[in-house]
Amino acid sequence: MLRITGGTVYDPANGVDGVVQDVCIAGGRIVGGRDLDAGARTIDAAGMIVMPGGVDVHTHVAGGALNFARGLVPENQRAARKFLHGLDRRAGLGGMTPTTFATGYLYAGMGWTTVNEAAVPILSARHTHEELHDIPIVDKTSLVLMANNEFVLDLLEAGEVERARHVVAWLVWAAKAYGVKAVNPGGVEAWKWGKNANTLHAPIEGYRTVTPAMIIANLAAIADDLQLPHPMHLHCNNLGVPGNFETTIETMNVLQGHRAHLAHLQFHAYGGEDWSSMRSEAPRVAEAFKANRNLTADAGAVLFGDAVTITADGPWQHLLYQLTGRKWGNLDVENETGCGIVPYVYKDRNLVNAVQWAVGLELLLLIDDPWRIFLTTDHPNGGCFWRYPEIIHMLMNAEFRREQVRRLPEKAQQRMVLADLDREYTLSEIAVITAAGPARSLGLTRKGQLGIGADADVTIYPVKPDHGFLFSYPRYVIKGGAIVVEEGDVREVVDGRELIVRPAYDVAIEDYIRPLFEKFYTMSFANYPVEIERLRNPEVVTPQP
Amino acid sequence: MGGKITCTLGEVKNRADFIMYWGGNPAECHPRHFSKYSLTPKGKFVPEGRKGRTMVLVDIRETPSAKAADIFLQIRPGTDFEVATALRALAKGQRVDAGRIAETGLTIERLQDIVDRMKRARFGVIFFGMGVSMTRGKHMNSGAILTLTAEMNAFTKFVCMPMRGHGNVTGADVVLRWTTGYPFGVDLSRGYPRFNPGEFSTVDLLVRGDNDAALVLGADPGATMPQPGIDHLARIPTIVLDPKVTHTSRLARVHITTAVTGISARGTAYRMDEIPLPLRPALDSPYPSDEEVIRRIRLAVAKKPAWTPAPLRATSVA
Repeated sequence: MLRITGGTVYDPANGVDGVVQDVCIAGGRIVGGRDLDAGARTIDAAGMIVMPGGVDVHTHVAGGALNFARGLVPENQRAARKFLHGLDRRAGLGGMTPTTFATGYLYAGMGWTTVNEAAVPILSARHTHEELHDIPIVDKTSLVLMANNEFVLDLLEAGEVERARHVVAWLVWAAKAYGVKAVNPGGVEAWKWGKNANTLHAPIEGYRTVTPAMIIANLAAIADDLQLPHPMHLHCNNLGVPGNFETTIETMNVLQGHRAHLAHLQFHAYGGEDWSSMRSEAPRVAEAFKANRNLTADAGAVLFGDAVTITADGPWQHLLYQLTGRKWGNLDVENETGCGIVPYVYKDRNLVNAVQWAVGLELLLLIDDPWRIFLTTDHPNGGCFWRYPEIIHMLMNAEFRREQVRRLPEKAQQRMVLADLDREYTLSEIAVITAAGPARSLGLTRKGQLGIGADADVTIYPVKPDHGFLFSYPRYVIKGGAIVVEEGDVREVVDGRELIVRPAYDVAIEDYIRPLFEKFYTMSFANYPVEIERLRNPEVVTPQP
Repeated sequence: MGGKITCTLGEVKNRADFIMYWGGNPAECHPRHFSKYSLTPKGKFVPEGRKGRTMVLVDIRETPSAKAADIFLQIRPGTDFEVATALRALAKGQRVDAGRIAETGLTIERLQDIVDRMKRARFGVIFFGMGVSMTRGKHMNSGAILTLTAEMNAFTKFVCMPMRGHGNVTGADVVLRWTTGYPFGVDLSRGYPRFNPGEFSTVDLLVRGDNDAALVLGADPGATMPQPGIDHLARIPTIVLDPKVTHTSRLARVHITTAVTGISARGTAYRMDEIPLPLRPALDSPYPSDEEVIRRIRLAVAKKPAWTPAPLRATSVA
């Protein structure tokens, strides 16, 4: 039991905006003050800020693609921060593709207590869960890749949407996932013949009628019909390409009011015809986004410096490889998806990179409802998650932002609107974009808030004059009622939980899937679904359609 | 330069119409590879099976795998790098010196024919074996094939895959990567992972005699290491976990008999394409699993006092 007393509490989900009040914890949950014994431990948080633990709505921390990347960049690992093994702590490395144990320490050390692994192939979901098992402290959810799954695409081609819904539900449960991810719908499938899907309304390679728009609309509807707690999580077509803002806005039209979460919106808000004429179209994307109230998004902001781009978007990675001439990894997954990896450095002297840097911040500032856009870097694509405090600092300080803009090439400055934006985030708004908003979008009702009955995931920051950077160094982090971090040091390593969803489906759908699986896959059908015994502390959510 | 362009084996089964095996003898070393994944299965986009695929074998001698090939390229030993590089050059239309090609035992015409077939393929794959990665040139040879594959994607779809074997070596590689950041040759003596093949890889440690104890799990270095390494294993306390008597267990100080994983112990094996497969035991075993033994050793070690020296205390001068 624990009483946090005297702190200034920011709990926007419950309308608490900078009020000095106690937060009481018992049994891993937030409780009322009367439920605590007199002998409960007290944390004196006078003069400090109390917020719900952070929730990362889109990150890549586990699984085949990230582990492929680790092997591809030993030179990055060598330069990474070292984690020494201790009595209850495992050795590891930080850096751009942190090892699993270090990932848990780094997230918790920053005050984040829940993470959503955003791209899991069903075929290797067992591997993803093995890694999630080895990420300590934080709670975890994961999304399975579905927009290039040939079972689903073939059913859409045949017009069998109803059956596709059962297949999607079966696959989510088979992968022990939390929701549905769509990456470059149709484009990854086309990449298996070395092609891409650049226009939303043209049939994709290998299909007569299936278009990216059709996949997007149907998957969003299926996620809604299944009442998944998190809507379809969409990586739009034409990621990273100049002029792609039109695709992004057209995608919003295609969704026709269905719920969706648009991942890393920054990578989808560019104007211009080619790399030399690329400019920010954040204002137009933000305007369209604001009008579509069925949508949430995360920023996918870019920070200057080293990154590793990892995405299921294989064709984009081939293009990036041709642009950089550096290393390139590619892994196509049979019948389901693909992935590409290219190490990358964002340079402030580079016109394209400077525009990308600005677009992420512009979207966060122009979309004025913090409940709909969340803080991410699409780790490790735009930068590492442990650099989030740098973005928070820029969001809270317009003058600091302008100073950064003035350092960019003049040509780049003319391609962005960042310097004109005066908005500065309040602490309450920061609590929304880092915790309350993503928790609500993920449908995690006990996360991102400090009301009675919520999970006792609490971060306590010291107040310093320099607001942004205080987020890199919490005074205390409490996870499920345990004090896991104190003054930047991991004190106690607890196990996180894995939240998974069991959507409703007709069990007879297995009789449809099995023969197709036996024909087109290369393992036995019994080995395809992940056994629930493999998960550490699973918590099953059952939607009621 | 660098990287790896690959896929899972089902992609090969469903799509590949051009298959090249290089420096390996799958007919004898991976006997199910042709029939399960690459040559004979009817794939989604290769419905005619074997007839819909062209198979090229590159090797220094005519092995039983050559019977399965449509085209056999016998190259001179030690010229894998040169052949791969010539293919890269021809693919890009660069000038190639006929005299240098002759040194590989091939001709420009034959290589040009291969390049033309590679470009005409809808989906090409190169499987390369230890005849590439463990002969003169080593990682340079692998690098040339990886780069050839990457560059072929400017013309058509192309992937490659190393033909890994030796039990669950891929699984060890995968787990080491997520726990330490590196695939093999990891040193933890400073308390955090460091990686340097040639310095920390097993063969180098043993040959130099750097280590003063060894725990051997799922391997038989006594059969495969150079003699100085084997001599060192015999000299130091070596502990072997193995279901069977092996060359290593004979020279070890301790041999703990364990259950056979996959037959009488559960676990996970990673295929050469890094797809995990659950292993379900069919039989009981009187012996503990490897995991059980390691866990018990770990618990016993945890009860020992810390190996680090006690903090320095001020000495009393009184």
